[in-house]
Amino acid sequence: MSITSKDKITVNNQQVNRILEVIMAYARLDFSQKTEVHGNTDVFDAIGAGVNMLGEELEASTISLKEKEQLLKEIHHRVKNNLQIVSSLLSLQSETIKDEIFLNLISASRNRINSMALVHEMLYSAKDLKKIEAGVYIERLSQNIINTLSKPDSKIIFTFNINNNYFLDIDRIIPLGLILNEIITNSIKYAFKKNEGEISIKMSEFENKHVLEIRDNGIGFPKNFNIETDSNLGLQLIKMLTEQMGAELKMDLAGGAAYKITFS
Amino acid sequence: MNTLTPPVDAIELSTFHTWMGGDGICRTVTKPNAEIDLPQAKENSIAVAGLFTGKKFPLFIDARSVRSMSREARKHFSTNGRDTRIICMAIMVRSPLSRVIGNFFMGLNKPQVPARLFDEEPDAIEWLKKFL
Repeated sequence: MSITSKDKITVNNQQVNRILEVIMAYARLDFSQKTEVHGNTDVFDAIGAGVNMLGEELEASTISLKEKEQLLKEIHHRVKNNLQIVSSLLSLQSETIKDEIFLNLISASRNRINSMALVHEMLYSAKDLKKIEAGVYIERLSQNIINTLSKPDSKIIFTFNINNNYFLDIDRIIPLGLILNEIITNSIKYAFKKNEGEISIKMSEFENKHVLEIRDNGIGFPKNFNIETDSNLGLQLIKMLTEQMGAELKMDLAGGAAYKITFS
Repeated sequence: MNTLTPPVDAIELSTFHTWMGGDGICRTVTKPNAEIDLPQAKENSIAVAGLFTGKKFPLFIDARSVRSMSREARKHFSTNGRDTRIICMAIMVRSPLSRVIGNFFMGLNKPQVPARLFDEEPDAIEWLKKFL
């Protein structure tokens, strides 16, 4: 029986439809499907074989990408564990020390380390391994710091005004976490004489830049305070890290302490 | 689709015929509608390596009647990361299908030795002779 051109068109249409189905399956990352290559040596067979081979390559790349993601998660997990070990070692060493100044230094160092460990902890459990939600990070970090530094009768509260969809990458969030750590620590330590007050943290966008504002309603900076000459290590770190981020730092010395950090 | 006719003393494999030509060029021809996966690719490279007599040689691959070649097979044929007895390879592709497979092989699975696709056998042989 001879094959008419109508039959040929029908077969070709079926083959094209099958190729389309396979392409759509690949788009859904379903690599179990293949187009049938009939051995006709025509262009449809060539397209079918090409699609099959592209599917194989895409599958291999997808697997390799998943393996890399897994590896990155593992690295974040290990970095977090190692940072926590360092923090625990510092804590252990401080147990036998009675010197208040030394204990304060250890505590400040532990909080700095923990602020970085928290980034890695959030990164390995995040969907996107490169970015974390700034609002969640800032709230957890603030809570961790207050748990470590505040006295049992503390009435210091936080208010947050941060959009849910603020995602920042590790290069931004690590220095930002350290900066926040220093500012919040300063507020808890020096701002509230009666151990009572409010620290507000706001993050917004202005002219395509991120603006982070931290303000407390405490006693503010001492009269005639000069940031260039009177800074403690915490303030020096804030200055250094904002410069490192290419950010702009503005401090309001009137009333409570207020910091405004603008970065891109 | 006409392919190179293997001589009687050619090594017959599951999807290939392989032999050493009198000109010092090794030939390997795919059987009609050959579906080449890793075992067939390995079988072929063992046969090709068996023709080594102390001097590396060019390889002529007639892939005109191939039907499919898996990623693993393409990767194996690229010779990357393994010791090989060949110094270059010319691949005959004339049908749209063999041309697509050949281009995948040359692009995504770039061979470690000099390699080129050819439409005409004399052109391929002439190019391979430069490596002798």
